[in-house]
Amino acid sequence: MLNKHEAQIMESNKQLALMIEEKEKRAAELLKANIELEHQNNEKEKRAVELLRSNEDLKRTEAKLLEVNKELEAFSYSVSHDLRAPLRAIGSYSQMLEEDYINVLDENGQRLLGIIQKSAVKMGVLIDDLLTFSRLSKKEMRKSRINMNEFVNNIVDEYAKISSHHAKIIVNELPDVLGDENLLSSVLTNLLSNAVKYSFKNEHPVIDISGKKITENNKEFVEYCITDNGIGFDMLYVNKLFGVFQRLHNEKEYPGTGVGLAISKRIIDKHDGKIWAKGELGKGSSFCFSLPC
Amino acid sequence: MENTLVEILLIEDNENDAEITIRALRKSNIANKIKHLSDGEQALNFLFGKGDYEGRDVEIKPKLIMLDLKMPKVDGLEVLEKIKSDPVTKKIPVVVLTSSREHPDIEKCYELGVNSYIVKPVDFDNFSTAITQSGMYWMLINQSPDL
Repeated sequence: MLNKHEAQIMESNKQLALMIEEKEKRAAELLKANIELEHQNNEKEKRAVELLRSNEDLKRTEAKLLEVNKELEAFSYSVSHDLRAPLRAIGSYSQMLEEDYINVLDENGQRLLGIIQKSAVKMGVLIDDLLTFSRLSKKEMRKSRINMNEFVNNIVDEYAKISSHHAKIIVNELPDVLGDENLLSSVLTNLLSNAVKYSFKNEHPVIDISGKKITENNKEFVEYCITDNGIGFDMLYVNKLFGVFQRLHNEKEYPGTGVGLAISKRIIDKHDGKIWAKGELGKGSSFCFSLPC
Repeated sequence: MENTLVEILLIEDNENDAEITIRALRKSNIANKIKHLSDGEQALNFLFGKGDYEGRDVEIKPKLIMLDLKMPKVDGLEVLEKIKSDPVTKKIPVVVLTSSREHPDIEKCYELGVNSYIVKPVDFDNFSTAITQSGMYWMLINQSPDL
């Protein structure tokens, strides 16, 4: 009897020892887990500090950007105000000279005076164009759904009123688009006037305006192209087309300041769209832009 | 003290613009008695008979004031405000001439009671034309009250 009890107690002791061992093992594991957790916590805090720091960096960059923008505004104000005043003087005084002293100026003297006047006028146009370009960045967009056929026809009609050209303009079926009417109108007017200007020498200039819907990477776009049969351009210089004051053709034959396409590109960029050109010397060119739907 | 009649008071700090303006006004026979002052302080002294113009008869008023906005010392806005808030001068027509179409002051000018606001055209024919037309309108066509 006693032996049986003894055996039972021994058995229980054994089990107890086993359980204790198990418990210690668990405790050790728990300790390890705790250390791991602490480590993770530390890591997390480090990340939080890093995040805070990059947020501060971002804020600083933003403040700097605002400052630069302000400087740019002050600059464009100064361009418009302070450059205009002396320019007005150059033009006006050469005009006074012409009015009061034309009789004592010989032919060459008059020619020189004419160049001064013409250059002053041109600089005025340049300043205005540059201002339009720099003002674009702070202009807010007001997007609406545009009935493109109606819109383009209006632009073609308006353009016909201010320019005497003999180009045949074909407006095909165009898909509608979401965009800022004022801004897109200046893009289309610019592309149209370029097409007219550079096809002027062709006996039968034809300008074709077309559009279509396209899907790229599951996103829908509308694409418009204005194609002419004018003098075209060498694709070697295609990258220069959209830069400010870049010109591919002689100014005497094709007047302009070289800001129009730069303005157009900026407007299309603002719409998150793309603008590009294809051309062949002597055959014509095609200017296209696409906008997200 | 000069108590002679002034038809147009031109307040303009840019000597060149002043010369062009006066020439345009003379040429079109709009006014011969033009008084040109080159800053706002002088203009206020003239209008209110103070400083250099102490004792001037302020009842002898110009028929028209042409005013540039951007001037040293007392600027055009301040001059406009003083003119339009004083019973002696408030009825005199004031045409503001400014260089820049960027100027945010157009609203402010009309709030203060300006009679006309002209952005000086950058090209010269147009500048003379703008001055002539504006002078013609205010001096000959428009009917002003007894000043």
